[in-house]
Amino acid sequence: MKRKMLSVLLCAALVVVMATGCGGSDKKEEGGKSSKGETSEVVGDVNGDGKIMCGYISKNIVDPFHAPINDYAKKTFDALKKDGTIDDWTGILDGETDANKQIDRADECIAKNCDYVIILPAEASSSDAAVTKLTDAGIKVIVVNSKTDSTDDVAMAYVGPDDVKAGEMLAQWVIDNVSDGGKYAHCQGVIGNSAQIQRGEGIENLMKDNDKFESVGDFPCEWQADKAANVATDMMNQYGDDLKAIICDNDDMSSAAQKACNDAGRSDIVCVGVDGNENPLQMVKDGEMGATVLQDGPAQVEGAIDLIKKALKGEETEKEVMIPFVLITKDNVDEYLK
Amino acid sequence: MAKEKEKILGMDGDKFRMFMGKYGIGVILVLMMVFISFMEPSFRSASNMINVATQVSINAMIAYGMCLAITTEGIDLSVGAQLALVSCILGQLISNKGWSIPLAILAAVLVSTLWGVINGLLISKFNMFPFVVTLSTQLIIRGLAQLISGGQAIPITDAAFKRIYSTKIAAVPFPILVLILVTVLMYLLLHWTKLGRYIFAVGDNMNAAIASGVSVIKTKTAVYAISGFLAGIAGVIFTAKTASAQSNIGIGYETDAVAACVLGGTSFAGGVATIPGVLMGIFIIGFIYNGMNLIGIDSYYQSMTKGAVIIGAVLLDMVMNKKTN
Amino acid sequence: MTYKADEQEKYVLECHGISKAFGGTQALCNVELLVRQGEVHALLGENGAGKSTLMKCIIGLHQQDKGEILFEGKPYSAKGPTEALNAGISMIHQELNPEPHLTIAESIFLKRENTKGILLDKRAQNKRADEILKKFNFPYNSKTLMKELTLAQMQMVEIIKAVSYNSRLIIMDEPTSSLDSEETAHLFSIIRELKEKGVAIIYISHRMEEIFEICDYVSVFRDGTYVGARSMEAADRDGLISMMVGRKVENVFPKVECEIGEVVFKVEGLSGKGFDDISFEVRKGEILGISGLVGSGRSETMRAIFGMDPITEGKLYLEGREIKIKKPGQAIKQGICMVNEDRKNFGLALHRSIRENIALPTLPIMQKGMLLNKKKEEKNCLNMGNLLKLKAASIEHDAFSLSGGNQQKTVLAKWLLANPKVLILDEPTRGVDVGAKSEIHNLMCQFAAKGLAVIMISSELPEIMGMSDRILVYHEGKIRGEVLREEILSGETDQEKILAKAFGGM
Repeated sequence: MKRKMLSVLLCAALVVVMATGCGGSDKKEEGGKSSKGETSEVVGDVNGDGKIMCGYISKNIVDPFHAPINDYAKKTFDALKKDGTIDDWTGILDGETDANKQIDRADECIAKNCDYVIILPAEASSSDAAVTKLTDAGIKVIVVNSKTDSTDDVAMAYVGPDDVKAGEMLAQWVIDNVSDGGKYAHCQGVIGNSAQIQRGEGIENLMKDNDKFESVGDFPCEWQADKAANVATDMMNQYGDDLKAIICDNDDMSSAAQKACNDAGRSDIVCVGVDGNENPLQMVKDGEMGATVLQDGPAQVEGAIDLIKKALKGEETEKEVMIPFVLITKDNVDEYLK
Repeated sequence: MAKEKEKILGMDGDKFRMFMGKYGIGVILVLMMVFISFMEPSFRSASNMINVATQVSINAMIAYGMCLAITTEGIDLSVGAQLALVSCILGQLISNKGWSIPLAILAAVLVSTLWGVINGLLISKFNMFPFVVTLSTQLIIRGLAQLISGGQAIPITDAAFKRIYSTKIAAVPFPILVLILVTVLMYLLLHWTKLGRYIFAVGDNMNAAIASGVSVIKTKTAVYAISGFLAGIAGVIFTAKTASAQSNIGIGYETDAVAACVLGGTSFAGGVATIPGVLMGIFIIGFIYNGMNLIGIDSYYQSMTKGAVIIGAVLLDMVMNKKTN
Repeated sequence: MTYKADEQEKYVLECHGISKAFGGTQALCNVELLVRQGEVHALLGENGAGKSTLMKCIIGLHQQDKGEILFEGKPYSAKGPTEALNAGISMIHQELNPEPHLTIAESIFLKRENTKGILLDKRAQNKRADEILKKFNFPYNSKTLMKELTLAQMQMVEIIKAVSYNSRLIIMDEPTSSLDSEETAHLFSIIRELKEKGVAIIYISHRMEEIFEICDYVSVFRDGTYVGARSMEAADRDGLISMMVGRKVENVFPKVECEIGEVVFKVEGLSGKGFDDISFEVRKGEILGISGLVGSGRSETMRAIFGMDPITEGKLYLEGREIKIKKPGQAIKQGICMVNEDRKNFGLALHRSIRENIALPTLPIMQKGMLLNKKKEEKNCLNMGNLLKLKAASIEHDAFSLSGGNQQKTVLAKWLLANPKVLILDEPTRGVDVGAKSEIHNLMCQFAAKGLAVIMISSELPEIMGMSDRILVYHEGKIRGEVLREEILSGETDQEKILAKAFGGM
């Protein structure tokens, strides 16, 4: 019986905490509403609570492409907070490359009364719920890096690269550097990612009509370097000298594939990928790899934050900002390699 | 040692220890809530509480299934892949084949339950290690999901389907109602039915359970079937939430489920678990994510904090619950 | 066997005023123990009397709160068994816990391996082990894996290990509990040899006969206190028992003669692993004793009847009709229940409550719709607990918290609730203290009086002879003899004759 009593007490304590909590916040909401009238002249204050609050939902915080983007966002937002342009921001929310988690993070942005949220979607279609959830709550959303399904309809803006274009740049590099043509392999990212889909599309655009090149297959490598390296060794075994190129959806994979080829004495095989991560850049610098296609991630976030700054000044903002890809070769690698 | 007058919070020492042993995790939960709301007042808002409860409903389904598996000295690593399979089946049936929503849900959950039965039979009938069995079926299930979806994301635009996640009944989101219903049913199942007792007996001492006439095959198969069924429910909520069917979802979801079980006092040695405990574990995990994001703690520190909280809570639980031997 | 006061007045071990408490329970209170060189010193006491706690203080598993221990005249304290071992004290535990995949040599030299540089020098180690094994006439060589040995042989390896550490004091906790008579005899000869060499032995046992046979001196404990010590020459059985229990136990075997009715259960030509062509019958109200050496097929037969092991041939009849049993569930449904000899592995779910353990086989009859009828369950469990005089603070406590005797009563309660027609008891009083033992014997008589057919396996001949209406003697998988109660009462058949049958004589 005593145990039951204790459990009842415990539940009661829980309820009290929640109830007082709710009560407190209700009052606060009222306060917010009353102050609404007085401070509505703050330019760009979307929800009218007199405070400018920004949210940042990352795609993830682990992969080498997103790390500098997140760093840049943190630096810039912290600076904006310091100089008073914005009142606060959420910090980097971890999307864990998972649409489900991104939707949860969107809930938290709503709970914190954000005015603007920058989101780097994990998935084109399933992360869309996070975007619509935010816009439904009246928040201005800037989608960065890849579009979700309803980005064009509901988001304030889209800032990102043209992945189809990137795919075409990859294919073009191979066409330009393997003069006789031949067989090539394609290492894919996680199937279903918009970057994977669109880069694949770009590669296909050029290769489809090119008689000199023949694909030996598309290999799902989930953006992972070791899997691409395995594809490289397998394909070298299978096709020997006929294998001329390996096109990868990112350059973690292309650098690993190139390394596998070089180790096997086949540095003639052209491996190329997208992103401009540090390791591939170093390989370009050292002459171990011909080129890589740099996606300027920080520039994308820069573009997005610039849009927020404009909105806060009451200026017109663009609906779509495209950040160009850069082909990195030995000639220009030093500009991008820190 | 035998100080009779040792008093903590008005209870004598032994009683306090017993209280903490049984409800220590609840105390941790309350302390956590007080701390977070002190740091960030918006945490306490009713809407945020509802958010968290809605968010944890997916992990809760998986964790309950996991709790049963762990209680029988097993583990179900296939749950993450089950989410993907259910999602892809739903996507195919609803978006491409035009099935009605209830029928599609029924079919998808049936398939995930069936995979649970297969897991259970392999484990009990052929006496294979649960870790190995579910590690392998996980690969098969995810492969199936990829096969069904063709590796592509299938958007589910049907508004009625999306409402499974977003609809509210008397201001309570539907996933919370599912969470409450499943929690009650699981509580009854584990603590008030024959099967629950058999699960505890098999988990604590399989030989003694057999010698008492308990069918290990039936019990374990039921356990994994329930785990599969609940993963199916979780998959439906997940898919309605993201409105998209994809084969790469749910990777690593076992981890949070196992963590919730462990926080809730589920013993890896088998035979010890409570549903209220697991529920509290689920909310602790949910509050860690939610609270730290609201406070604005850097994401880099979040997984460290999660790990530290789990170890700390389990350690505290062990100290409080110190048994002779 | 005689105690020579003059030469051996030197104490190997002296414990003075030892106290130890766990939480609120005083496990030891101002306890004394004096052990002389080359003496076999028995420790007697019911379970929970403090014997094990004292031993754990000596080998360093516990630290006493108060008091002092002298070993060979010098103050001694060990922080753990390894330290104790190095100091010259070793303990052979009741539940042996060998590493099954180690060889004998590896087991003996565990944690002090012969090395050559950083590598193990297996050859030298095996050679050393073989030399020691030879000294003890051990029938296996050093490379044999522990798992291939019988319990008795594993125990022997433990003893050999202790000797190889040059231990001057060896503690043996219930060393004979899983040994048959022959193995026990062998153990005793080893103990005598050790004694000759001046090794002192602390011998913990519940078996009074053994204590009288092998021990020189006895210290008695009760409820954590030291009752007193006696020279075995000066002690008598009843006196020791009353010291232990604090009261007089009149009749060791309270057999009540009751009416024996018609045949309930019949076995015909039963064969399986370890037994061959077994036929017997048991009647209502009868206690059928099964005797024989460990491994003679007695437990194996009963396990097969209960559905735990397969039956290859033969038929079972219950109340005249043939029944088939493939798993325990079927046996229980038919009304055949079995208390397994291995309580820890087959009897109880130790981390679940007493209530859950008792109710486990009978849950189907305690349902209300889909859910359990917990009220009915509680009532049933309490009734059964009261009937069996189960001593527990509450039936909600873990079975783990109970003493051996009360654990056994929990198992009995579980089966009685299932309302059996045939109750098979395999070593029902193993590891059970004297008080609980006679209570269990009483209960057996009560069950029989209510018309239950009881089959009891026991390695203790006095128990079998004192309790059974009829005794079947096993040897090498076959029944080699049948002894009626009249023959025992008339003195026509005695312990030695039964033993002779068990050893294959006629």
